[in-house]
Amino acid sequence: MVTLTRKCSSGGRLRRVVTAALLVAAGVSLATSCAAGTSILDKDSLVVGVKPDQPGLGVKGADGRFSGFDVDVASYVARKLGKQVRFVAAPSSQREQMLQGGTVDLVVATYSITAERKTKVAFGGPYYVAHQDTLIRAAEAGVSNVRDLRDRKLCQVTGSNSWRRVKDERKIPVTLVPSASYSECVSDLRAGKVDAVSTDDLILAGFATSGTKIVNAPFSDERYGVGIRTGDLDGCEAVNKAITEMYQDGTAKRLLQKWFAKSGLALSFTVPQFEGCG
Amino acid sequence: MTVVGPAPAGAPESPAVTPAPDPPVIPGPPRRVPRVRTVPGRIRLFVALGVAAVLLLFGTVSIAIGHARNGLSAIGHTAGPQVVATADLYFALSDMDAQVANVLLTGRESGLGPGRQAMLDRYDQRRSQADRAVLQAADLASADATEQTTVRTLLDGLGRYERLASRALLLDEQSGHAAGPPPQAVLDVYRQATDLMRLDLLPKAYNLTLDSGTIVRHSYLAELSAVQGGRVWVGLTGGLALAVLIVLQIFLSRGFRRTLNVPLLVATIVVGALTAVAVVVLQHEGDVLTEAKEDGFNSVLALSRARAIGNTLHGDESRYLLDPQRADTYEQVYLDKSQAVLYLPGGNLDKYYAAVAAGVAAFPGKADFLGFYGSEASHVTLPGQSDAIARVLKLYQAFQRNDQQIRRSVTGGRERDAVSQVMGPAFGAYDDALVRLTALHRKAFDSAVREGDGALGGWNVVPPAAALAAVLLILIGVRPRLAEYR
Repeated sequence: MVTLTRKCSSGGRLRRVVTAALLVAAGVSLATSCAAGTSILDKDSLVVGVKPDQPGLGVKGADGRFSGFDVDVASYVARKLGKQVRFVAAPSSQREQMLQGGTVDLVVATYSITAERKTKVAFGGPYYVAHQDTLIRAAEAGVSNVRDLRDRKLCQVTGSNSWRRVKDERKIPVTLVPSASYSECVSDLRAGKVDAVSTDDLILAGFATSGTKIVNAPFSDERYGVGIRTGDLDGCEAVNKAITEMYQDGTAKRLLQKWFAKSGLALSFTVPQFEGCG
Repeated sequence: MTVVGPAPAGAPESPAVTPAPDPPVIPGPPRRVPRVRTVPGRIRLFVALGVAAVLLLFGTVSIAIGHARNGLSAIGHTAGPQVVATADLYFALSDMDAQVANVLLTGRESGLGPGRQAMLDRYDQRRSQADRAVLQAADLASADATEQTTVRTLLDGLGRYERLASRALLLDEQSGHAAGPPPQAVLDVYRQATDLMRLDLLPKAYNLTLDSGTIVRHSYLAELSAVQGGRVWVGLTGGLALAVLIVLQIFLSRGFRRTLNVPLLVATIVVGALTAVAVVVLQHEGDVLTEAKEDGFNSVLALSRARAIGNTLHGDESRYLLDPQRADTYEQVYLDKSQAVLYLPGGNLDKYYAAVAAGVAAFPGKADFLGFYGSEASHVTLPGQSDAIARVLKLYQAFQRNDQQIRRSVTGGRERDAVSQVMGPAFGAYDDALVRLTALHRKAFDSAVREGDGALGGWNVVPPAAALAAVLLILIGVRPRLAEYR
């Protein structure tokens, strides 16, 4: 008799043996007790929520097509699961709702895994651990870690918490200069209106242009996960396996270099520690 | 097919009816048609049906019991314990790196912590523990190419780590520095070693445990559904056998004007009893499997992960002291991991210390925290579990308080105090309490598995014996009636 079967939803060898043995008498089908609800594995195509406006990670082009690192990761995962994929824009504030309501099957949109979010949705991955880092002018000397930002002008983006990690958590006395978005911050940086922009390194790398450089002094972990409906253990585990293979076959390295190598950011090419599905 | 294999056993007694694999509900070949229409022909037909139904029942009982046995054996004796062993891999690896950090931090001083040699011994001990766990992981991963690749790269990386660690230890010994940060040359090598360990090997080890847990989960679900489905089938085939035997009884009592055919009645009781007991046992085994998986295995695995992450917390304290340039990073990592173990909102360590103090004080009245201990505290099922959790939480808070003092000592320039606080008893006490809580779950797990094994005792013999008895009784019961026609 078989001890281990790998798939529950699709009917393993073991269940077929049992079914065959029992179907001798009648044509009644076996009641199964797989995980409740539907799994993304039961679908033919997946709808994936991505960022529409995050350079390097997820951008919606004029032709309506999405591109970026997150988009490529989602495409790879969908291909590994043998699914077609369609992308839709997932605004940060609606990501949990979209998953819970079934508008999207997965969210791959610089979606940090946090304990609070885990009470509402589950996470495959992380597929990358980003770190908060600092972007400065290329000509700037004397900033080699976040503490060197003392008494400098730091860009403060409305609605983002990144500046708090410098001013409140690290208690570094900086002068905050308000701004509407990170792209505005970066132009302010080049124009000399601010001295530093501090947020997730992959976001910085997406904006980095000639004339700016990343300090490469990371001081936090932002674990970018693949959001999935709570309870879809089979789907979540399949996503994790796909991410493992993405690192093993070198795709992760290729994609990271494709999107972020120009920024001079120190990238990590080893598989991150997964959050766990159950 | 076991179901119909032994069918010829009844054949010599009823040669007229074909012992076909399927119950001969349709009349056999044309020349036999007249014989079925006769009374002895009908008796033989019923007997064949009855024997086939009993054998079918025997088959379904054996298969369902076999699944219960397999499920228990996988979770309780083979894959389950192996997964727990792979969780120890992360712990062992993390402790190797923590011991290296402690040795480097101690320098030439001897009065700190357990002493240099004891730390090195512990390093060796963890190294061989890691080796054993890798073997278990490799065994579990044998069916999965992706996992096998992970195991292989993990082994390669471990070799590289050891080379770097021994180089750092050698340079450190040659430098003979005082307690505190070692010279830059030592730090440079140690950074390579610890980055390899923390950013590459530990994540892989952790993922390997998750993957192994997936294997056990799939096995559990498959066996559980087979046991539950098997129970339904035992009920159906048992009902079928009973119906055939009752019809035969009625046929005999009407046809021969006798009140009751006693052997047939006993056969009916045997079949009924086998069905009822098998359904009850299968129900019980399903419950035991669920209990072993949900209350035992899941908790043991979750707490092993909490313990492993807790160990890296302790290592991050040492590394925070060891490498002042990276102190911010290690402090942040420490906070992130603390929140994975016991989540309470708090953007920086000071807020977190306060939140932990308040959260632990409110327990067990209120448990409004998340993370590993959050799910543990919200799922109290065992006697003594609540007290054990309370102890773990109290000592966890003491460990966090000690951490606060360490960081205060550093800011106050009292580095040596900080080093001896890191090596103090706070972490060991917390870790011991956690081991005890885990042991509580382990005991529940073991006893569920033992109980399940016990309930299956004798089930190698019961189904064939009962089926054989029922078949013999049927034959004994109808033989005198058939003899009347000779």
